[in-house]
Amino acid sequence: MSDFFAARLQMALTLGTHIIFACFGIGLPLLLIFVEWRFLKTGDELWRTLGKRWSKTFGVLFAVGAVSGTVLSFELGLLWPEFMGTYGAVIGLPFVLEGFAFFLEAIFVGIYLYTWDRLSPRVHWFTAFPIALSGLAGGTFVVAANAWMNVPSGFKLNKDGRIIDVDPMTALFNPGMPAQAAHMIVAALMVTGFMVAAYYAFETLKGRNSEYNRRAMAMGLGMGIISAMLQGPVGHEAGHMVAKYQPIKLAAMEGHFETTDWAPLRIGGIPNMETRETTMAIEIPGGLSMIAFNDPTATVRGLNEFPDEDLPPVAVVHFAFQAMVGIGTMLMGLGLWTLWRVWKKTPIEDNRWLRLRTLWRVWKKMPIEDNRWLLWTIVAAGPLSIVALEAGWIVTEVGRQPWIVHGYMRTSEAVTEAPGVVPLFIVTVSIYAVLVVGTVVTLQLLSHVPMPEPSHDA
Amino acid sequence: MTPELIVCGILLVAITLYAILGGADFGAGVWEFNTAMRSSKKERDLLYRAIGPVWEVNHVWLIFAIVLMFSAFPVVFAALSRALWIPLLLALLGIFARSVGFAFRAYAAGAVRQQAVFGVVFAFASTSTPFFFGACAGAIAGGLDKVDVNGKFDGDYLTGWITPLSVFCSFYAVGLCSYISALFMSCEAMADNDAELTAVWRRRALIMGVILGAFSTLGLVIVANYASELWTGFLSKSLPLVAISTATGLISMLCVWKARYQFAAGAAALTVACVILGWGVAQYPLIVPPNIDVDSAKGPESVLWAMIIVIAAGAVVLGPALGWLFYLFKGQHPNNSKAAATLNKNTATNTSQ
Repeated sequence: MSDFFAARLQMALTLGTHIIFACFGIGLPLLLIFVEWRFLKTGDELWRTLGKRWSKTFGVLFAVGAVSGTVLSFELGLLWPEFMGTYGAVIGLPFVLEGFAFFLEAIFVGIYLYTWDRLSPRVHWFTAFPIALSGLAGGTFVVAANAWMNVPSGFKLNKDGRIIDVDPMTALFNPGMPAQAAHMIVAALMVTGFMVAAYYAFETLKGRNSEYNRRAMAMGLGMGIISAMLQGPVGHEAGHMVAKYQPIKLAAMEGHFETTDWAPLRIGGIPNMETRETTMAIEIPGGLSMIAFNDPTATVRGLNEFPDEDLPPVAVVHFAFQAMVGIGTMLMGLGLWTLWRVWKKTPIEDNRWLRLRTLWRVWKKMPIEDNRWLLWTIVAAGPLSIVALEAGWIVTEVGRQPWIVHGYMRTSEAVTEAPGVVPLFIVTVSIYAVLVVGTVVTLQLLSHVPMPEPSHDA
Repeated sequence: MTPELIVCGILLVAITLYAILGGADFGAGVWEFNTAMRSSKKERDLLYRAIGPVWEVNHVWLIFAIVLMFSAFPVVFAALSRALWIPLLLALLGIFARSVGFAFRAYAAGAVRQQAVFGVVFAFASTSTPFFFGACAGAIAGGLDKVDVNGKFDGDYLTGWITPLSVFCSFYAVGLCSYISALFMSCEAMADNDAELTAVWRRRALIMGVILGAFSTLGLVIVANYASELWTGFLSKSLPLVAISTATGLISMLCVWKARYQFAAGAAALTVACVILGWGVAQYPLIVPPNIDVDSAKGPESVLWAMIIVIAAGAVVLGPALGWLFYLFKGQHPNNSKAAATLNKNTATNTSQ
């Protein structure tokens, strides 16, 4: 293994791990706000118990996320000194803003976690808002920096290769930022929602069919399903952005070699770099043109138009994209299935608005404990949503290769000259294995700490 | 006032606050390490309780400093990432293990065996982190002559960072953290009305203070012999700061002796601030001596101003929030000892289950 490849794997491993924790950092505070709000409105202790439980889970995941994020901030320089030395100032503003968001988050996490019994319930609830806001903002800013690597803007290069005329606001709000940030935030909510749901679905399957369990599952499912439905149009927007600014990435995602109009959407298929075609795919004529430009007759440029040294590893990007879209579609299907099951158990009333209320009443009881197929599918949906998340990051990161800053700096130019990157990677793999196992064990231990679980019908 | 000077100032403030607040958290772990994990359960409870709500926030000062550095002085960030490859990796490993050890230990309440393992990790990593950060500071202060003005490095990646000053600073940083921590812990024990623990921490603070005093003198000798540029700076531009840091250091010792722990902590914080500021002033305008100075390393002015505006605006939000956090958990009000009592009770019930 070359040092360069080891550095890329190192980044992929540490970033890929951090993203999972970061998703919970964005998603869990929203769930916490919701359940604590329900407690304030109804006085039902079950809501409060849920909040207390999840706040401990959140505490662990936030701590682990903070430290895995710290690793990344060091690695930006340690692994990619040339990149940071040249472009650090251009992406500085989003990172400073993210630093602030993280600061605010850490302050209020400290307050929120330790004041359940000290502050009044309403004030305690308020302290969750800065956490949620800064989680959303922090995620947005970090993704803004990544989007800038995809669509560099807001600067010029002089003839020595040094940056001049930097406009930090243009760099921050680069054209790639809105769609990519929205796509990531919604993905974070999906992962949180489905992981929460998966845990409680599994508990239910093991025979712990308490009201507490089902309500927790209902909350996770609600967030996961709403986000999965949203992800359709949001991902579509992200696709437009890629089509416009990174035609090579789009072509790689689709295994699209020849430039054509009426470009087909390929489902499955294996891209072959020798014969320059993607075989064994189900093709929907005009589908890709439609996705890329909202017009089935539009011309989509193929990989053959670009020099070989500018192409990413096509197969990896294509498979990752297929996995992401496939799982996303499946999760939407799961949403419809669950909705239908719950709807069927909802007593019919005349007033439409009332019916929505009734739906909520039934939803929070999540009466699906007798449907083991559905429960097992929900259990699978948790890990699958993480697979989709990682696949999405592979699409955007591997799809940008061989560039670290699209069109400006190659990843191979950015990498450190320091020795020992391969052993470093091996050590990191083992440390991160311990980290993930330790997190799971700690969460497991936490779930065994008994808490008052009043069981009554609300 | 040029924007780069303002950012330099903010950067020094961030580093100072990290050294004091983050340092105190590390120092708490250093004491676990020093006493070979043989401290009593009561001691340990106080220690973990003192760090619990604030250590994440104190850690953010480091992130903030890093982000500031690579945004405002990208070349410096690249240069240090190369020249300090090994100590930065080791410090990072320490930060990682400390945070994970602490978090897992805190949340694994009741699982005795896991807690013990994570406690050892926490203690060990709390010591190694300031050790390697100290080494980084010492290596920079002593001068990295293999780093050129563009941030390229042609020295030895593995051993280039080991100099007399970096070795000294690594031990000095650990000592400083444990001293500050002993002072803060004395305050905490006092606020708890726990005479026994207060006495323990007072004794520790006094011992560490004496050691640190001797160490500081040794440090000046090392700087005079191995870092002549810095020494010249200490004797001219930074002389007042060196004098103040010496004075406040002695005052803090005196305050410990007189059992005025809050004054002692304040004076010690001032000492740390003066040492860091004195170092910065002494080598100004160089950032990474001898080749990189503020002017050649600074980012575009548009970026610097944008950062300053954002930081100023952000401070308006962060200031009160930080104040509230420390008021809630470090303030002198009856709620805190009540909370302490509840927490102890909870721990007790958890262990019995």
